[in-house]
Amino acid sequence: MVDPTTRASSGGQSWTPTESTTILAFKFSGGVLVAGDRRATAGNTVVYDRADKVLEIDRHSIMAIAGVPATAWEMARVLEHSFQYFRRTQLQEMSVDGKVRALSKLLRDNFGFVMQGVGVVVPIFATYGSNPKPEARLYFYDAMGAQFEVTDYAATGSGSPAVRGILYHENNWGEKPLQKLSEDEAITVALRALDTAAEADTSTGGVDRGGKIFPLIKIVSREGITTLPEEKIAQVFRQTVA
Amino acid sequence: MIEEPYRWVEAIANRREYIETQLAAGSPIAAVGYQDGILFLTLGRARQKIFEIYDRIAMGAIGHPGDIERLRMAAIELASTEGFTRSAADVSLRRLVHYSLSPVMKNAFEQVYGPPYLARLLFAEVGSKPEEDLFLRVEYDGAIATNGAVISQARQGFAVLSATRRSGELMESFLKKEHSGAAAFEDTMKVALDAWSVGHMALGEDGAKELPERVAITRHRQEQLSGAGIEAAVLERDLKRAIRYRPLSDEEVRSSIRE
Repeated sequence: MVDPTTRASSGGQSWTPTESTTILAFKFSGGVLVAGDRRATAGNTVVYDRADKVLEIDRHSIMAIAGVPATAWEMARVLEHSFQYFRRTQLQEMSVDGKVRALSKLLRDNFGFVMQGVGVVVPIFATYGSNPKPEARLYFYDAMGAQFEVTDYAATGSGSPAVRGILYHENNWGEKPLQKLSEDEAITVALRALDTAAEADTSTGGVDRGGKIFPLIKIVSREGITTLPEEKIAQVFRQTVA
Repeated sequence: MIEEPYRWVEAIANRREYIETQLAAGSPIAAVGYQDGILFLTLGRARQKIFEIYDRIAMGAIGHPGDIERLRMAAIELASTEGFTRSAADVSLRRLVHYSLSPVMKNAFEQVYGPPYLARLLFAEVGSKPEEDLFLRVEYDGAIATNGAVISQARQGFAVLSATRRSGELMESFLKKEHSGAAAFEDTMKVALDAWSVGHMALGEDGAKELPERVAITRHRQEQLSGAGIEAAVLERDLKRAIRYRPLSDEEVRSSIRE
């Protein structure tokens, strides 16, 4: 079996797929916060420093991606279209279960590529559903398509061990549990977690202080999706992180 | 029966008469452009008549539910295929109607051995500014009417769909007088409701032949509002969002017109 994290090679010349890393999501008082750093790498090369890993699928759903963006962006596109097509033709919103399963199916179909060592994607899916009761729902997946619903937080990608450590610590022994955090406090936690991940993991961009590149943060709530403006993130960053 | 050309013409004329009779009872639909988008509005008691087609396109329809459904599905299918293989920006209402729907409807209408579509459709596509809004009405025989955004004629920021020609014309002449593209949402809502009332008053054999008095329109509107549900949706001009269609609930509409 080929470990999906090893690089594919052919004809003596090795080729490394572009990958993107470290996304996190947790529930807070205003919904679900989903954040991702901006770096995409191929092996030890930084390919891109403004990658968008937190993708809006519809008015209430976000898919965040760790893994190969070529595959992940295509998955996001397929999801986006299938949710919308369902809503337009059936005249009702697809259920949360239906949406979660749709992503699972795409991951499952992609597993052949994962086994060949290319195209691994490990997403997080956050949505606000009204059935059975109105609430925010948060899932992470493995590369084979199994979905895991979480009550508090999720993190995937190469920097995720550090992020998980921080979120676990914050949730249990921080000033208050994650679900009670205000928006500013939640942003602080997300930025600190990503910055910590970047400290030990070269694949994670964290916050680029020189280039002023900040992580991308979106919030899912009953009202829909809000993308936090960069100035807002920069302001919280200066106050509580830098 | 139709070996000779004049028989064919006769068959078509009969068919037209038949379809007009079938459609004659439909509740009118008004699509009215305003500063922040396009409002679709109708009053009804039974079925949904206003639909989302694609990110910036909405449709209103009167006719047989089965035929409306087939045309609606075809429109969504075409727009979604284009949007998925290329991009949402490549989906164009003009092409959708001119190259796909109209020929299909004309064909069905003229094949006298097959069934025609018992439906009239009204489409709107919201632009980045009011001058770019496009309204297209497609008849059961494939004929297309536009708001003038395509060829050189006076541009109108609204369009109507009604069961009879007279009703539609009266709605248009009402909107020509009353509509302002710069109006706010609440005012647009009132104008659309009044336009609907005008159209509704003109339906039937003994319907209004000329534009009714203001007082009569208001009275009719109030009477109808107490008995029927309001169905409305907007295509928002908000450039930050990809999907502009938003259905409005009955309460939302009623609270915005509270006088």
